[in-house]
Amino acid sequence: MMKFRRYSPPTPVDESKLSNGAYPAPPSGVKRTHKDYGIGESANRLPIAPESTVNKEMKILFLKHKFGFLSVAFLTLLTVAASLVPPRVFGNFLQTLQKNPEDAQISQVVGIVGIAILVRTIFSYFTNVRASILGEFILSSVRERFVEKVIEIPPSAAERAGSGELLSRTTTDIDHITWAMRDAVPIISICLIQIIGISAAIMTTAPIFMLATLAILPIVAISTRWYLHRSPQAYRIQSSAYCTVNSVLVETAESGRTIDALRLGNDRNERTHAASARWLEWERYTLNLRVRWFPTIEVNSVLPAALVLAFGAIFYSIDSSKPGYIGIATITAGVLYAQMMVQPIEELLWCIDELQTGKASLGRLFGINEIPPREIKDAKPDGKTIESSNVRFGYRAGKDVLKDVSFLLKPGTRLAIVGPSGAGKSTLGRLLAGLQPPDLGKITVGNAEIGFLPVEQARMEVALVTQEHHVFMGTLRQNVSLAKPDVSDEEIWQALEAVDAAGWAKALENGLDTIVGSGGARLLPAQAQQVALSRLVLADPHTLILDEATSLLDQRAAKHLENSLAAVLAGRTVIAIAHRLQTAFDADLIAVIEDGQISEWGSHNDLMLANGAYAKLWRSWRDES
Amino acid sequence: MGNRLYRTPFDNQPALDPGEPDLSSTRGFLWWLFTHQLRVILVGTLFGTIGLLCSALSPGLFGRGIQAIADQDHSKIQFWIVMILLLGVLQAITSLLRHQCGVASYLICISRLQALVGRKAVDLGADLPRLISTGEISAVNSNDIEKLAGAFDIIPRLVGAVVSFVVVSYILISTTPTVGIMVVIAVPLLGLGIAPIIKPLQKRQTILREKLSHSSGIAADIVSGLRILRGIGGEESFLQRFREASQEVRVAAVRAARVRGLLDGLQILLPGSLILGVIWTGGKLVIEEKMKVGELLAFYGYSAYLAMPLHIMTESSQRITSGLVATRRILSLLCQKPFQTWDTKRHFPKDEALRDSQSGLEIISGEYLGIVCDDSLTADDLCDRLGGYLEAKSVFYGDSPLSSFTRDSVRAQIYSQEKEPSILSGNVGSHFSAQSSGRVSIEQALRAASAEDILDSLEGEGMAAELVERGRTLSGGQRQRMALARTLFVDAPILILDDPTSAVDSHTEARIASRMKELRLGMTTVVITSSPLILDLTDRVALLIAGRVVAIGTHKDLLLSNQAYRELVVRG
Repeated sequence: MMKFRRYSPPTPVDESKLSNGAYPAPPSGVKRTHKDYGIGESANRLPIAPESTVNKEMKILFLKHKFGFLSVAFLTLLTVAASLVPPRVFGNFLQTLQKNPEDAQISQVVGIVGIAILVRTIFSYFTNVRASILGEFILSSVRERFVEKVIEIPPSAAERAGSGELLSRTTTDIDHITWAMRDAVPIISICLIQIIGISAAIMTTAPIFMLATLAILPIVAISTRWYLHRSPQAYRIQSSAYCTVNSVLVETAESGRTIDALRLGNDRNERTHAASARWLEWERYTLNLRVRWFPTIEVNSVLPAALVLAFGAIFYSIDSSKPGYIGIATITAGVLYAQMMVQPIEELLWCIDELQTGKASLGRLFGINEIPPREIKDAKPDGKTIESSNVRFGYRAGKDVLKDVSFLLKPGTRLAIVGPSGAGKSTLGRLLAGLQPPDLGKITVGNAEIGFLPVEQARMEVALVTQEHHVFMGTLRQNVSLAKPDVSDEEIWQALEAVDAAGWAKALENGLDTIVGSGGARLLPAQAQQVALSRLVLADPHTLILDEATSLLDQRAAKHLENSLAAVLAGRTVIAIAHRLQTAFDADLIAVIEDGQISEWGSHNDLMLANGAYAKLWRSWRDES
Repeated sequence: MGNRLYRTPFDNQPALDPGEPDLSSTRGFLWWLFTHQLRVILVGTLFGTIGLLCSALSPGLFGRGIQAIADQDHSKIQFWIVMILLLGVLQAITSLLRHQCGVASYLICISRLQALVGRKAVDLGADLPRLISTGEISAVNSNDIEKLAGAFDIIPRLVGAVVSFVVVSYILISTTPTVGIMVVIAVPLLGLGIAPIIKPLQKRQTILREKLSHSSGIAADIVSGLRILRGIGGEESFLQRFREASQEVRVAAVRAARVRGLLDGLQILLPGSLILGVIWTGGKLVIEEKMKVGELLAFYGYSAYLAMPLHIMTESSQRITSGLVATRRILSLLCQKPFQTWDTKRHFPKDEALRDSQSGLEIISGEYLGIVCDDSLTADDLCDRLGGYLEAKSVFYGDSPLSSFTRDSVRAQIYSQEKEPSILSGNVGSHFSAQSSGRVSIEQALRAASAEDILDSLEGEGMAAELVERGRTLSGGQRQRMALARTLFVDAPILILDDPTSAVDSHTEARIASRMKELRLGMTTVVITSSPLILDLTDRVALLIAGRVVAIGTHKDLLLSNQAYRELVVRG
């Protein structure tokens, strides 16, 4: 027995086997965790609303639904009141039984207690239902408002945040709030009202008993305060650390071939172990917190009732005419009330944790509102000419990706942008599509700066398709008709035809109604890319930017697709960023970008005559044929 | 306890090796898990039983106390109050210890299962996607493992509940048989009274969970495709779909809450009616002086108390049922076997030819071979076969099939890089952490794959630069070059590459082609590609049509002589 009580210090976790984003070890013993402990900079790319904002928003929510809250509170009050009747009646009954049993009216007692139980049953049902209707209404409006806001954030902010952070706010934080709202909020309000109700009942029974009940309050308050200063943060990290183990395992599963080839099997096992051990360290830390806190709560379950009994024994008298008289009835009721107090206090304390997590999550959800909106300068594009003048742009200060890029593109021109990786081709594409304005210089469409147009308008002028090929959960029809939800089937088929996708789309089991995306029919990467292009055909902007938009198709398919797409896009301005020189050959103009600058500009023939970098590459690529 | 990992409930550091589980049957597997946390569960059960008994006995003590007050027996009053306090302290200590044991058993079980699942995933390696979906691994890990551990966690409380139920029943019957028997019979009946509600409640909660995961799935989908929605449109229609899903959640939640409310109501009404019965019969007995006032109070307390063990038993049955379902799913994952069987001893000889009997391809040791395929799926299969990931019996090294060597020696000799290799999360240092020949430095590998510029775009310096989200923030071409650099760094004697430059621009491709050739000089290298920039530098090129080798020659010869080859390779 003694052996297992001994604490043997755990072997330290192999830090080198933890992923970069992993949490550090918990502080030793039960020292406090820092508020922003273990949150790297990467997690903070989206703003978090300060506590004052969260409080303000919560107040607004409360005021908006004050009648709902009040009616739930009223129902709870009735339920609690009904629960206070039986101990009192039972106590009086016991006293009568003890003093003069012949006066006892059992049927009357049973009748009153029975009615009280029935009333409590009925009102508890209505409290539950009303609270849920109110809570679920608020929850649904919070989550819908959040997604509405997410959809409005400027594209540049969405890109900077990365999908991971936004995703975790959309799933984990909404889950936390749902938890808090569905369980913690009703329990806390019910418990509070119960505590108040029971206290009132004790006061009317014998005020002296209140003293007995309150005696433990300071201990509980101090230990709980101590606990709450440590716990919410620790639990949050603990659950993230648990998720980390899962992501290590999923990564092992998804990358099986690569791990096998690299013979990293042992390394993976060590990584699973390290992640698991780090999670266990946090589990042990929170267990230590509870071990300190629990006893004070447990004491709460016996001590008050025992004190009531002791006080009762001291002040007991048989003479019922004395003021402040305490008889068996009073003591019985007092003991029962003191025992009734145990449950709401314990539940309340348990839920405060939950509530704190929920509040932290609310801060992260409302944080979306703090993202500065896209800067809009009102200007109507006049014409379809695209002009870039002295454009300079960099993602990080001092590291310019684009340095002084200028050109003019007449409507209907087909421009190919070629150049080595990292030269700034994709960045130029993003700026041309108006995802954000350049640091210096201007990019205009019909003399209006596209980076300052409202998103909805900018995309009617210029659309960008990249290698990214997300297929949305939903039917193929919904996936293609993003830009025009009410489009006819015929037009959708035409769009699919234009990207060579009609063949496999017809072969799908339910045609346009086939569910695709996560959980539905799986599309090959090449097919997903065709879907992305077909969206563009329906969106029908006058200028298209294709950033390696056919790179996942094999050579011949890509060539064929580009040809059929060209037929549909005739007359539009097309800017193709491509690694296949064939695309350049077919274009009206070619821009060679090297090191953030246009080093060569002209038609294929011009550039061949100029005999520069492009001509050299072209020859090495073609000299065999 | 020799090799047991968890010596104490307070020291739950998992060992690297989770041990060999008994996978023959569900019962065997559960027993194996059970014996590996036997001590924690037994000790926990002991404390759990004492703790629950303490709270079971407290109504009796309060009853005695009140009786003593009524009798004005001061020494008895003091005695019972002290007893109540002692019992309270004992209860606090034992429940604390029970909690610690429960948590320890839960953690031991989870971490052991995590290690087992991880080891299984590593074992299955490349075969895994063909056997099970990664979604299933994730579901087992985030759901089933916890459920199974939860079933073990409840054992101490279940035993405690049963014991305290029996003890309280005994006390009740022995003090006042009539009321005692009534209570002991009524309590389980009342438990049965709640039973009809449990099923519909679970059903509605399941529906709620499904609706919830559907709506958060839509939200996640919107977020993942946000750039597309912002770039092309369709925000409103997707928002509408989310709103509908969210409203469905609301309706389902309220429906579940109605049943929940009913259950809560019944949990007030049913024990309440028992208390009415106790007051009725007990009151009469007191009037007839067959029972004392304090005893009636104790009965009142006991009948209220008995709801608790009952509640624990109901919860246990639910937890154990779902634990069993979870066990079956975990077992079916752990019982998966890799497709390939390998010899366990024989090591790879050097400098033999590698021959694929299906396509008729033969790779001579030390050559730089290009392969052109008319169809990319054939190419992928060929790449898998040559690496020993598929039908290792049909590929021969010298005269022996690959399956006649050990898996590790095959992997060490032949490195076959698939079309889209994974980038593992971590930093650049861990990216290059695989065993290598030591001949090629990281810098040389990065240079050959023309990937030096990628490091500049990453956050962090040098080897500490982080590959965020498993390289998902990199472009397709950048990912491809990082993977190629890693492959070249490993520097396997035989290297098979499946279309390693498909997402790379022509400038860079030309650079990679010449640098790679230089780096691999004298080593066996096979590149499946249709890029003339690479093919031009190979020693020979094999043309595969419909999975068979139809022509072999130098790139220039094939261009001149073979029409099909020209069509596949020339992009103009």
